[in-house]
Amino acid sequence: MKSWLILLAGLLIWAAHFFLLYGIGEFAGDGRAARIAVGLATIGALGLVAAIGWRIGRMYAAAGFASWRRGVAFFGLVLGAVAILWQSLPAIIV
Amino acid sequence: MRSETGFDPALYDRFPTKGPRPEGEEEELRRIWCKPKGWEYLTVVNNNYVGIYYLGTAFLFFLLAGVLALLMRAQLAAPMLEILPQGTYNQVFTMHGTVMMFLFAVPAVEAAGVLLLPQMLAARDLPFPRLSAYAFWAYAVGGLCFFASIFVGLAPDGGWFMYPPLTSKAYSPGINTDFWLLGIGFIEISAIAGAIEIIVGVLRTRAPGMSLDKMPIFAWAMLVFAVMIVIAFPSIILGTLLLEIERALGWPFFDATRGGDPLLWQHLFWFFGHPEVYIIFLPAAGMLSMIVATVAREALVGYRLIVLAMVATGFISFGVWAHHMFTTGMPPMTTGFFSAASMAVSLPAGIQVFSWIATLAVGTPRFNAPGLFILGSIVIFVAGGLTGVMVAMVPFDWQAHDSYFIVAHLHYVLIGGMVFPLFAAFYYWIPMVSRRALSERLAKWVFGLMFAGMNIAFLPMHLAGLQGMPRRVYTYLPGQGLELPNLISTIGAFMLGAGVLLFLVDLARNFRLAPGEGNAGNVYGGGTLEWLPSELYSTRSIPVVKSREPLWDDPALGDDVAAGRYFLPGSATGLRETIVTSPLLAEPQYLQIMPGPSGWPFAAAIFTAGFFLALTVQAYGFAWASGVFAIIAVLRWLWETDRRVEAERVDIGAGIEVPTYVTGPSSHGWWAMVILLVVMGMIFVMALFSLAFLWSNQPAFWMTPPPLGEASVVLLLYGVAFLLALAGRGALRWRPSASVALLSASAAASAVALWLDYRGWTHTGLVPQATGQGAAIYALQALAACAVAIGLLMAAYCALRAARALVSQPRNNSIDLTVLLLGYTATQGLVGAIFGRLIGAGA
Repeated sequence: MKSWLILLAGLLIWAAHFFLLYGIGEFAGDGRAARIAVGLATIGALGLVAAIGWRIGRMYAAAGFASWRRGVAFFGLVLGAVAILWQSLPAIIV
Repeated sequence: MRSETGFDPALYDRFPTKGPRPEGEEEELRRIWCKPKGWEYLTVVNNNYVGIYYLGTAFLFFLLAGVLALLMRAQLAAPMLEILPQGTYNQVFTMHGTVMMFLFAVPAVEAAGVLLLPQMLAARDLPFPRLSAYAFWAYAVGGLCFFASIFVGLAPDGGWFMYPPLTSKAYSPGINTDFWLLGIGFIEISAIAGAIEIIVGVLRTRAPGMSLDKMPIFAWAMLVFAVMIVIAFPSIILGTLLLEIERALGWPFFDATRGGDPLLWQHLFWFFGHPEVYIIFLPAAGMLSMIVATVAREALVGYRLIVLAMVATGFISFGVWAHHMFTTGMPPMTTGFFSAASMAVSLPAGIQVFSWIATLAVGTPRFNAPGLFILGSIVIFVAGGLTGVMVAMVPFDWQAHDSYFIVAHLHYVLIGGMVFPLFAAFYYWIPMVSRRALSERLAKWVFGLMFAGMNIAFLPMHLAGLQGMPRRVYTYLPGQGLELPNLISTIGAFMLGAGVLLFLVDLARNFRLAPGEGNAGNVYGGGTLEWLPSELYSTRSIPVVKSREPLWDDPALGDDVAAGRYFLPGSATGLRETIVTSPLLAEPQYLQIMPGPSGWPFAAAIFTAGFFLALTVQAYGFAWASGVFAIIAVLRWLWETDRRVEAERVDIGAGIEVPTYVTGPSSHGWWAMVILLVVMGMIFVMALFSLAFLWSNQPAFWMTPPPLGEASVVLLLYGVAFLLALAGRGALRWRPSASVALLSASAAASAVALWLDYRGWTHTGLVPQATGQGAAIYALQALAACAVAIGLLMAAYCALRAARALVSQPRNNSIDLTVLLLGYTATQGLVGAIFGRLIGAGA
């Protein structure tokens, strides 16, 4: 399970962030409070991505599967961060 | 990384073994995995047969739906034609979309998985061969009966996404819509069965040493595909159930005048419907990635990034469903979230496309038949992807919505992303199953006609759409500038059809199927394990995998495998068997004894189909009888499984011994059960969402639910049911009868809790026919009742096995799986009871 969490961390955080944003939009409208909630959720998600990235960067990874896992996890975190930032922009600009 | 299971990887150095193998070892394998004869072709479960049946049936549906497409194009070739009457046209376009999506695209890629994965992973078969056979027969029988509805004018006619209120009883009073709802709902069960098989197969039956980083990219694609089915399909299963209940019983889930909401259907449908596009695309992309490497004679560039891209596509595709609903008036901020996610999903798709281009650029590509089709696929798919980004932008979508622009876009994506890769795969892998490869000369004509025809057919549709031609109209007026683009589209469609016809000619001339009796071999020079010499038992021995393209890196591998110098060179128990390995590093864990051919999966499929089809035509007595027989057939097929063999540990090669019976989280049965519970859990979660959605959108119809405190006995009973299930597992150490008694008590406690919960709601006066709240609350209870009924059935089944001394101690898989189900049942009941009382409580 630990390996799967490492591999999928960035995308799991993206998913949690996305569905939280959808929940806010669907059930709390799009007023000022909702937009602040979106901002806080985004800061929290990006913070979590950064923390996990830092942790994974410090993990020892011998060649082979462990190294491959670390690489996929790292790129996943980068992709997750881009997607999180991108999908929160409508709360600011729409 | 340390060993995952305690297995010492140094043991792999014992392979390839030296010295001759015992006489008769290979003959025994042939005897155990023998060819069927006569009627046995109906009861066969081996993936070499089921995979071919599956693929052949899916291709048949492709042809049938293609004929429907040509009928539509003939009707639209000129204005005001009357080739198809308006009502028939509605049935034809509905069936075209439905058959292509549900009966061709998903089953075709699932079939490819069933056929190719065991070979690619060097397993003897997938872990649940009878489940594969059941999934196939259910799909084939159900699909053919469903398709036949068009010959009697009863085919559905509400479009492939069946939006209410058009499909409600008021506007679609006939049984056409019921055919769709029950027929498709049933076929989804088959897809889920296949997905469970594929997930467990990919994660647990890989050749030793094939860690995740060495797994063929197609296996990765199939893994993501199957997980997506498990997450996405429950939503449409729930949606079809709710709409059928609304039509049959008048519960107003989607009726806005009684507190329902038609937009709820759109959410439920598209939460499945958009991931469905990627469910179709990802396996095709996996095939494409495999073929690109062989065609370019170069290892795939960016394997790690492609794996990430596939997984990311799987995730992000669940965040785009509402981009089909931009014109429904969603709040602007929510619309923006979906627009952003719809653009973001193009990132991982782009990674894959660039990787294919890079592989072709650094390699020395040959433009043979598979090579041509992958090139065509990339061109068409990129064009469809670009128009996809266009319609992801809300203002553009408002203009293009429901116009022929969308028809053009979706066909570019689906034909480029799935049909062309599938044809590349046909040419590439047919030499694995046929004694002759297909003709390279004819292939160039097939490709030329299909590529040109596709573009001639669909490129003008962008124009027709921007000129204002709406989808799903059976004709148009002259003088609107639509004559020429429509005529060109029709010519292109028939060219595309001619290409497919030529492909059929090639098949008739060269495709010579003979499972286990030789094949054309590795004509394109692929580097993965499916090109090892194989028979019905797959490869003679199961190799140790040290790289992603083992055949390129070890030219002697094929000979060593065929000589039995690797794992499991013969049968260790005299039965069908395969090695189960660990999910990350593929270390050998145990020997799975596999079930052989049986008529019960076939019978179960026939009766399941009978149940759903009889419901559709309102033959309720026949339906319930079929349902009971289907359950009996499933239990009878299971009865022969979960039995220990005499030898507790066996040598699987080079003196390495593994157990023959494993229970708990290590067993493949446990994995399958957990995935099934995820499916049930997703159906339940979507039902909770439905309740919350209706409360959020129709608060005027909401009554204050009873206080949570009134349900304290209900909650307590569910808690007791959960603990009894756990205790039942522990009690097996002591006595099977004690275990069974506790499991039965758990099921009974859940049943009583559900009854009290139901009574609590009826006392409030809430009626399911009156409001959306009532409908959703009682739908939650109906779901709980289903889980309780299955729990009671499984407890009774365990009791019967215990009475026949078939329950092993101290652990037993049948008991373990029943514990899991009962624990889930109690949890679902508990959460449902709380959630129903909290939604709207503060109003």
